[in-house]
Amino acid sequence: MLPTSLDEAVEALAASPAAVPVAGGTDLMEAVNAGRLRPAALIGLGRITELRGWRYEDGGTAVLGAGLTLARMDRPDFAALIPALADAARTAGPPQTRNVGTLGGNIATAAPAGDTLPVLAALEASVTLARPGATREVPVSHLLTGLDPMRPGELLTWVRVPLLNAPQVFLKATGRSGPSRATASVALVLDPARRAVRCAVGAVAPVPLRPLEAEAWVAGCIDWDARGEEGVPAIDPAASAAFGEYVATACVPDGYGADAASGLAVEGPTAVALRLRRTVAVLARRALGRALK
Amino acid sequence: MTNHPVHPVDERPCASYTLRVNGFERPVTDAWIGESLLYVLRERLGLAGAKNGCEQGECGACSVQVDGQLVAGCLVPAALAADSEISTVEGLSAGGAASDVQQALADSGAVQCGYCTPGMAMAVHDLLQRNHRPSEVEARQALCGNLCRCTGYRSALAAVQTVADARSAALLEAEEAAAEVAASAEPAEPAEPVQVQAESEVPDLPVYQDAWTETAAAGEVPVFGNDDSGWIVAQPFEAPPVYDAPQAYAASQDFEAAQPFEDVPPFEGTPMPGPDQSAGGYQPLPTAAGTGVGVGVVPPQGYPGYDPTAYGPGTVYAAGATYEPTPAHGTSAPGAPFEGTPAHGTPYEPTPAHGTPYGTPAHGTPAQGTGYPGYPDQQYAGAPYEGAGYEGTPYDRTSYDGVGYDGTVYEPAPAAPYDAASAHGLRLPEDDHA
Ligand SMILES: Cc1cc2nc3c(=O)[nH]c(=O)nc-3n(C[C@H](O)[C@H](O)[C@H](O)COP(=O)(O)OP(=O)(O)OC[C@H]3O[C@@H](n4cnc5c(N)ncnc54)[C@H](O)[C@@H]3O)c2cc1C
Ligand code: FES
Ligand code: FES
Repeated sequence: MLPTSLDEAVEALAASPAAVPVAGGTDLMEAVNAGRLRPAALIGLGRITELRGWRYEDGGTAVLGAGLTLARMDRPDFAALIPALADAARTAGPPQTRNVGTLGGNIATAAPAGDTLPVLAALEASVTLARPGATREVPVSHLLTGLDPMRPGELLTWVRVPLLNAPQVFLKATGRSGPSRATASVALVLDPARRAVRCAVGAVAPVPLRPLEAEAWVAGCIDWDARGEEGVPAIDPAASAAFGEYVATACVPDGYGADAASGLAVEGPTAVALRLRRTVAVLARRALGRALK
Repeated sequence: MTNHPVHPVDERPCASYTLRVNGFERPVTDAWIGESLLYVLRERLGLAGAKNGCEQGECGACSVQVDGQLVAGCLVPAALAADSEISTVEGLSAGGAASDVQQALADSGAVQCGYCTPGMAMAVHDLLQRNHRPSEVEARQALCGNLCRCTGYRSALAAVQTVADARSAALLEAEEAAAEVAASAEPAEPAEPVQVQAESEVPDLPVYQDAWTETAAAGEVPVFGNDDSGWIVAQPFEAPPVYDAPQAYAASQDFEAAQPFEDVPPFEGTPMPGPDQSAGGYQPLPTAAGTGVGVGVVPPQGYPGYDPTAYGPGTVYAAGATYEPTPAHGTSAPGAPFEGTPAHGTPYEPTPAHGTPYGTPAHGTPAQGTGYPGYPDQQYAGAPYEGAGYEGTPYDRTSYDGVGYDGTVYEPAPAAPYDAASAHGLRLPEDDHA
């Protein structure tokens, strides 16, 4: 069924709890085609027009509809608003899936390689979950880590993102040059008002990771007053490189990729871990460099 | 995270709905709700143009347009596309003739096995609808979701430019003609300004020519209104074509059993001879929606001007030279000197049998089975390589750990000197900034 308003959809989901909400269907139909999912009923969210745009709220917050498509987020007006989210959306799959795949679907799927997730984590966004007659607000990090998961019958409706009006970068390493899922990704946003750097690393773990210590350390290394001035480096290149290493070591554990079943005691980081760390370090260093350019 | 209940009430919930495909209403009855648009188009509606390459959204062979947007047909639940406008590759070739996009793809050599072609044609069509003058980069980005195992994409990109050029030339011509008409109707009015405008208009077409770009309020995605604004104009509605095929397959909802459609070669409108036909099989109809033209690129034998006898052996060519059989390699043709294969002026020698060492490989790339120059004694046996473990290229002095990684933990190089160069050794401009 195809409800045209949010209330209708929430009611429909409550009335038939076995039904599956479908936004773009790009993740859902993949599971159906592969035989991993047999939906009892489908509730299409594509006709709920209010969820397909965004609005602004006092205090510098953008409220993004869950039905905002990845392709829409790539357009210049949105990219001016939340550049890192636009960058993430631009690289998330081929045009055929970005045309219909949605922000809400990306969050609800919560795939490790979900490209919007590290950006939302770095931006410290929160989501609104709706059920008949009630809504609740959950930070994205709590939702993704399972601290406060989505409950059956709930619909993800809005994503609240603070507008920082400062450089933000999303970088992604992939296995091939065409559209593909990330092997590692880094989202980095500057918060000049608080003189803070916020960074999240995606695809290396089931959920995006925040290297909080590295963030705090590098924020102290940045010459915030020189930022944006022509010819004045806002940060020492050595500090920037060290930040990359710091982030990588924080997010990729020594035992990454080790075969626990083999019973071999592993000393030091595995080769896989070293390689992934190198990738993450380069992404993080570059992201910082671009943000401070 | 996804909150799908695990207790299916009905094992196979079905629905009946009507799809609007290429302007025709196509009823679908008692279809499982999990069926993809691709499956319904191919197996229930007999529109086998869109191909099933992966069912996972990766290959783009199933690309169709839903409400004017390019999507992977395999990832659209057909039941939810019920009141959408669906265009398939069959709609491109209205009336059975290849569209300009399809013709250009065929002409530029972008069709080899042809499996990707319907999807590629839809992607090119979609791109040129949105962007009349795509740059190379824009074209690459638009086609990046369409995998082709045969051609290497160059020819598809060339086809994009060909169509773009042809269309803008046609547009210019039409406007010039209109200007001329206007000028002859009103001799006092000089035709000059109109022409200038026409020329400057062509390269400046907006990149995203969505119907809403003009009216979009910031932050809102206007949807297509009830007043028809923004809709892709549907083809005029005609009587729905009568199909007798789908039910035969609907009865056995087994996907395997429905495979025969896979094998119907995409020949235009020519009914396939064979038992399938008499048994109520697939009957291509000469309507836009129903031709079932899979590729629609190779003109059928019998297109106006085709003369099957024209190119027989011994036919006199326009230049007057009689056709002669291709000379054997190495022989110089009498008359016109043969200027074919020999690379770099080296006299061509017959390919040695597999396994014999090759004297001096003309290009340096040894063919399979020839000895590798420099290791004249090591002859490559031609068998699949399965010798001692492939060591791989050491990745910046860290041990190789890719395919064939056996769980052994290699000793990492002691503190690989990390010199702030990027992973692949390239230094990007921002490396100096950071
Ligand atoms: C070829 C291909 C490549 C891809 N590459 C990438 C990539 O590089 N990066 C990336 O991040 N993703 C990628 N994806 C995944 C996918 O495109 C995205 O995750 C997309 O954002 C999913 O959105 P959707 O609207 O299609 O979700 P759907 O498939 O409609 O839904 C996914 C799940 O979320 C639930 N859901 C959807 N909306 C809501 C809602 N509002 N409330 C509650 N539950 C909801 C559905 O029930 C379903 O379980 C790729 C997919 C494909 C097919
Ligand atoms: S079959 Fe749909 S993308 Fe491959
Ligand atoms: S022509 Fe064979 S896949 Fe493209």
